[in-house]
Amino acid sequence: MQCNPSNKSFLRLEHVSFSYYSVLGEVSVLNDINFHVEKGSFVALVGPSGCGKSTILSLISGLLKPVGGYITFYSDDFCAPKVGYMLQHDHLLEWRDVYHNIMLGLEIQKNKTPENLAFIDELLEKYKLSDTKNKKPSALSGGMRQRIALIRTLATRPDLLLLDEPFSALDYQTRLRISSDVRGIIKSEKKTAILVTHDISEAVSMADVVILLTKPPCTVKDIIPIEFEKNGINRDEIRTSKLFQEYFDKIWREMQDENTDI
Amino acid sequence: MKTQTSKNSKKSYSIIAATETLGQQKYIRHQKMRKRYIFWSRIILFAGFLLLWQAAATFGWIDKFYFSSPAEIGKLFIHDIKDRSLLNHIGITLFESGVSFLLIILFSLLTATFFWFYPSLGKLFEPFLIVLNSLPKSALAPLIIVWLGTGLRTIILCGMSVGIFGCILNLYQSFSQTDPERLKLIETLGGTKMQAFTKVVFPGNIPTFISLSKVNIGLALVGVIIGEFLAGRRGLGYLIIYGSQVFKLDMVILSIAILCVIAMLIYGILNVIEQKSAS
Repeated sequence: MQCNPSNKSFLRLEHVSFSYYSVLGEVSVLNDINFHVEKGSFVALVGPSGCGKSTILSLISGLLKPVGGYITFYSDDFCAPKVGYMLQHDHLLEWRDVYHNIMLGLEIQKNKTPENLAFIDELLEKYKLSDTKNKKPSALSGGMRQRIALIRTLATRPDLLLLDEPFSALDYQTRLRISSDVRGIIKSEKKTAILVTHDISEAVSMADVVILLTKPPCTVKDIIPIEFEKNGINRDEIRTSKLFQEYFDKIWREMQDENTDI
Repeated sequence: MKTQTSKNSKKSYSIIAATETLGQQKYIRHQKMRKRYIFWSRIILFAGFLLLWQAAATFGWIDKFYFSSPAEIGKLFIHDIKDRSLLNHIGITLFESGVSFLLIILFSLLTATFFWFYPSLGKLFEPFLIVLNSLPKSALAPLIIVWLGTGLRTIILCGMSVGIFGCILNLYQSFSQTDPERLKLIETLGGTKMQAFTKVVFPGNIPTFISLSKVNIGLALVGVIIGEFLAGRRGLGYLIIYGSQVFKLDMVILSIAILCVIAMLIYGILNVIEQKSAS
């Protein structure tokens, strides 16, 4: 089912909790998580490693069921929004060329319509990746592969993109470039996105809202709107701006509190 | 096999040739010389061995009755080729090995797939398979003869028995070691378990599948020869056993030599297939 993209829908998490069970007992990972995501916004979840950030994405996508609380999607019609995932590694299948890798999602969803195939070409064209179409993934650089992975996700026309540390396997230089590219692509496709990262500068440079999480059992510690445009700062210059440093320091300090709490 | 390696080396040289310098040319010439040297040395070594053997038999240094001689083996080869009996024996052994091999592959693939879909069944059968796999499989052959008699079925089953347990185990383990993140990718795209298998697990394990095939075609041949030793009326294994019982050692050695050639051919063919599938 395809949701009408013009719908103003958003996502709300209320009192969401989650536990893993092991032989040693119950491990409470998430405890009373509350936040909401507005349509078209880019939200970053930042927190200490192992705090259950990825679990939140799995819950939102429906791969896991919360132990308590509600995850609600609001939309004008009654269809569930489509969720697209981007994982830490690109997981491009080495026996398929780029084009057929991108097609994987459509194949699985049995949705290989002419329009959707044309949409892939359009995306490749738009983001200057057309010449990689018939290449094997092994012939591409790490940054290129992550871009292809994003196109693969976009090809299924998701309403919500979940990015699970998608850049952490890349080197620093590539990371800076790809993260701003990916933000650009997501914004120009007018997608709602949730990014999980432990890298504060990545979160500040990409997101509209940063949600800071505590160590486990994890709750929301702070919600910080990132407002560069409002303060008249051009996107190309944010990393060198004073405001960037201010945001960074604020989040850094709050995370340090978290670490000393132990 | 030989022609194949030399073709490969030519290929890589032509790539290097694009940016050849004088030193490189010298190096390449040296490498080529070395290769040629090794190739001819091998041929001389083998020819020398045959000559020595022949001389030893002719001059009575060894007993022809026990050791035969290349000339006699050659004579027997030509004689048996002419009366078509040898081709018949070779054919039957190849047929049995081929059928055993195909059955091993088919059965292992089905079982491993089934185990992947139902991991608790896999867990259940794993220890039994491990025990059966570590068993010396030739110990099973007499049992199979009692159950099935002495015929084609017995020999094919013997051929299967050597490789099949290991093949199932390896394939199942390789299936279940598929990167869980890749399975998650399929799950996040909304795929079913069936799709995870057809899109990720199976295609991702084709290299394992090919290397298992490589091992198992050899094992099928081993099993078939064991089967023919014990229950054959035809085939190279039968010739070896029969020849040794009536002291026709030229027949035994000829059969062994033919097995060597068969093994070499199979190895060569599989190498080509492996390289084709890798590229």
